[in-house]
Amino acid sequence: MSKTLVTTVAAGALLATAIPAMAQDASCPIKVGVLHSLSGTMAISETTLKDTMEMLVEQQNDAGGLLGCELEAVVVDPASDWPLFAEKARELLTVQEVDVIFGSWTSVSRKSVLPVLEELNGLMFYPVQYEGEESSKNVFYTGAAPNQQAIPATDYFLEELGVEKFALLGTDYVYPRTTNNILESYLKDKGIAAEDIFVNYTPFGHSDWSKIVADVVALGADGKKVGVISTINGDANVGFYKELAAAGISADDIPVVAFSVGEEELSGLDTSNLVGHLAAWNYFQSADSAENEAWVAAWKERMGEERVTNDPMEAHYIGFNMWVNAVTEAGTTDVDAVRTAMYGQEFPNLTGGTAVMLPNHHLAKPVLIGEIQEDGQFDIISQTDEVPGDAWTDYLPESAVLVSDWQELECGMFNTQTETCVQIKSNY
Amino acid sequence: MILRAVLALAMLAAITIAPTGLKAQAPDAPIQQLLQAHGEIIAKSSRRTIGPAIDALATSGLPEAQVVLERWQAKEMWFHEETGLFVFAEEVDRSTIKIFDIADGSEIGDVPDDDYKQLKPNSGIRGLIGGALVQFQLIDPDPLNRMRALNAIERRPEAGHLAALRGTMEGEENPTIATRKARLERLLTMEFGESDQERIAAIEGFAGDLGVDVRAVLNRLVATRRSAAVEAPQSEDIARLVNPGSEDLTADEAYALLVSAELAPPRISRDAKRAALVANIENGAVAGIEVATLDSEGARDLAYAALADAGVVEPVATEAQVAEALDAHTFFDRYVAAPPGVAQAAQAALNAIELRLGLNEAADLALDALSLASIYFLAAIGLAITFGVMRVINMAHGEFIMMGAYTGYVVQLFVPDYTLSILIALPLAFLVTFGAGVAMERLVIRWLYHRPLETLLATFGISIALQQLAKNIFGTQARPLTAPGWLDGSLVFNDVVSISYIRIAIFVLALLFLALFLFVMNRTRLGLEVRAVTQNPRMAASMGINPDRINMLTFGFGSGIAGIAGVAIGLYAKVTSEMGQDYIVQSFMTVVVGGVGNIWGTLLGASLVGLLQKGIEWMNPSNTLAAQTYMILFIILFIQFRPRGIIALKGRAAEA
Repeated sequence: MSKTLVTTVAAGALLATAIPAMAQDASCPIKVGVLHSLSGTMAISETTLKDTMEMLVEQQNDAGGLLGCELEAVVVDPASDWPLFAEKARELLTVQEVDVIFGSWTSVSRKSVLPVLEELNGLMFYPVQYEGEESSKNVFYTGAAPNQQAIPATDYFLEELGVEKFALLGTDYVYPRTTNNILESYLKDKGIAAEDIFVNYTPFGHSDWSKIVADVVALGADGKKVGVISTINGDANVGFYKELAAAGISADDIPVVAFSVGEEELSGLDTSNLVGHLAAWNYFQSADSAENEAWVAAWKERMGEERVTNDPMEAHYIGFNMWVNAVTEAGTTDVDAVRTAMYGQEFPNLTGGTAVMLPNHHLAKPVLIGEIQEDGQFDIISQTDEVPGDAWTDYLPESAVLVSDWQELECGMFNTQTETCVQIKSNY
Repeated sequence: MILRAVLALAMLAAITIAPTGLKAQAPDAPIQQLLQAHGEIIAKSSRRTIGPAIDALATSGLPEAQVVLERWQAKEMWFHEETGLFVFAEEVDRSTIKIFDIADGSEIGDVPDDDYKQLKPNSGIRGLIGGALVQFQLIDPDPLNRMRALNAIERRPEAGHLAALRGTMEGEENPTIATRKARLERLLTMEFGESDQERIAAIEGFAGDLGVDVRAVLNRLVATRRSAAVEAPQSEDIARLVNPGSEDLTADEAYALLVSAELAPPRISRDAKRAALVANIENGAVAGIEVATLDSEGARDLAYAALADAGVVEPVATEAQVAEALDAHTFFDRYVAAPPGVAQAAQAALNAIELRLGLNEAADLALDALSLASIYFLAAIGLAITFGVMRVINMAHGEFIMMGAYTGYVVQLFVPDYTLSILIALPLAFLVTFGAGVAMERLVIRWLYHRPLETLLATFGISIALQQLAKNIFGTQARPLTAPGWLDGSLVFNDVVSISYIRIAIFVLALLFLALFLFVMNRTRLGLEVRAVTQNPRMAASMGINPDRINMLTFGFGSGIAGIAGVAIGLYAKVTSEMGQDYIVQSFMTVVVGGVGNIWGTLLGASLVGLLQKGIEWMNPSNTLAAQTYMILFIILFIQFRPRGIIALKGRAAEA
């Protein structure tokens, strides 16, 4: 009696899971949600990514669609309003019933979407470099973790440029503060004394840089080589670089490496005085590969000759193509099946070499360091091998013991000392 | 090596045959051979390993070495990925390069760039190459190259540079370079001079100099290392004695120093001691002492010491022994970078400029504050008219600033000459924002006079609408508004005090507008009528003044000045749709603190806000945002005690 009951329940459960899966197999078109702000402060950066997604979907349709279906991009506008990101994500998953979401830019918008994704078991690809210390089962992070951008750039400063004194300048919000914390403890590990690290935070859109630039110059008075690591975001960069140029600071004397300044941001600046200053990314438009040439040409043809490509666009390019391959492999767009198929996915990135999706939902990607040129492009002077993205940094004591592994351990926050899963949901 | 050369030759034969018509390359030229010998590290291009290759080139004595180093530094050297042969190359287009032989510079021909890889020395390597080039460039006929050599020496001074530099000082014709050479020679003498007297003389020669380069050398010379001994040695190289337990050296650090110098046994934590004792319990006793008696720290120390005597555990220090060891030793800093005489002279020189350095830093801070004050004043002067004189709370004032800045940007799109474009932009920005101000007064504000709350809400709405309009037209990315070339750079008094020319220009502009405001208000009929209308509109009307028209013109005038301020602010900061918001709070603060309705009050208000902001930033350099918060707190307190601002209006004007 009890045995039959169990079998019936099991069969029922099987049926229950099988029916939606089958339904999904058949449901054409396959919907791709695009959750990027088209108005408000983040619009310029995120609109570019919306256009990128539409281009990728179009290209895929031209190549024959996916699982015999057409792809359809469902675009919504969360208007740079962080709570609205959560609302729009819910709308995409429950009303539009999309199969995957590509979206978000700022960390705060990502954090506001997380609970919705985890509740409804959605799937999102997040394309921007971020501060790490997070690993959600439902998000694939295709941008750089700190060890794929900040740490290699700092190593470059230490080893190649011989910098002995660091100025960490940042805008006052979560990404610069977390990154600078990591860098401070990393630098101390490397034997840089606390008094040789100068930290400064400025508000968004700060414009009065003369004193901070003077402070940085004054750091050189004890005969040590000074370098600036900038996590300054957005418009404030314009004033900062103008003041640097006015103070006549050459990149040979005080190099500045920026983590949030790319081709798009430089288009708002006269770069003739900034030649030689640096930026660290996983992609630059000037990368010399056949794939990149085709990509840049396609972008310019679609959007106009003066438009530039940048790092988050490449992240979406890799993420989208990996998702397409995972869906093809799984034979369905079911989130759990696709997630399992994502692990170990490989796709050639635009800078040469191959990106690999790791079980911690991050990519292995090369780190590039570029020098600003007069035309607003970057000259790539250093390119590492693929660096595996690390969700939990090794340089902060509280997260050094944590690892993320959704394939074997099925946990995004696993404490290796106590060998327990701290938590499954990412509501930290 | 031979194999590699043979391979290189074979590959060379292959490339010279394949694209016909190309001139042969000389693979056995000595310079090519030299580079081949270091081919791997050159291709690897890392500062830490590149040294031998650069040294070999610099000391090779080959006539081509200078050109090769220079073009390598300029990223013009490429190598063939299979043969490893180096060439000079120029990019013809995205996939083709024109290559030249490195030995004689002769053109080889155009080839596709797929087989070649560009050498991209990073700025660290470029610095090393620059250092190696010094010997060639110091005597180069081109003054630019001689300048480069001096730059390279400044960045990486080496002992060898001193003699080289001295050798070239005689024949220097260019007066600027001669002065730089003389200064550099003194700097190098301080660090690398042969005799102590010579070095001390050089140090004294720089007495009172605030240059960052001088201070860098001096600070390097006075570097010390901390050590400890039972008795402080009576040698001259002792910089100072340090007391353990002081701020400079805590007791823990001092003891760690003794331990690392093997002058004292290491310490052990209580837990570790306990564990060691527990591990050595035999028959209810540790080293013959009953476990039951080990109930105090002192007893446990004794037991541990007994164990150490027996050789079971490493000997460690107890608290008492630590104190004793600290007492028994002297701690001192010893000069390590220079002979004692030189180091003392350097220290004396540093002490001597300390006060001057502080004064100059204060002066620099004051200049910064003055400049910030003039920016706030410029932003607030329009508001001093619309709010100060007319009592209209115009929240869209910041957006008029933005409109002025965008006007400047648009003018630059059509007029490529930056000087001319700014000259056109200033009056045009006035006209545009004057028009916008008049339109706003006619359409909205005139219906809301004497209803401040409604005015506030209406103008706030307009400000949001104007921002979104700007976003739709210009996008949200910052737009460039470039200053003319003669405003680039800064006025440098010395290495501490300097201010950029653009800020001086803003200061001058602010003074001009102060004069203009005073002239219009006190010397023109419009000013007279404005004052009359604001004091008593009905009386003014009965005297034949049209209050409507005057209100319109006054509001337009205030808005127009905001537009001009926008051009100036856009030049030094950025042009975005949100730039107005950055200034609206500061502008209101300036006007309110100064005292509503008085331009001198606005001036004082701007100075106070600017000084305060810079002062707080100086006290708390790591968080500029906190500085702004403290400042606003201070302003709130200030308004509590002087609600009408620094200069309060008195009499009938105050009641109007």
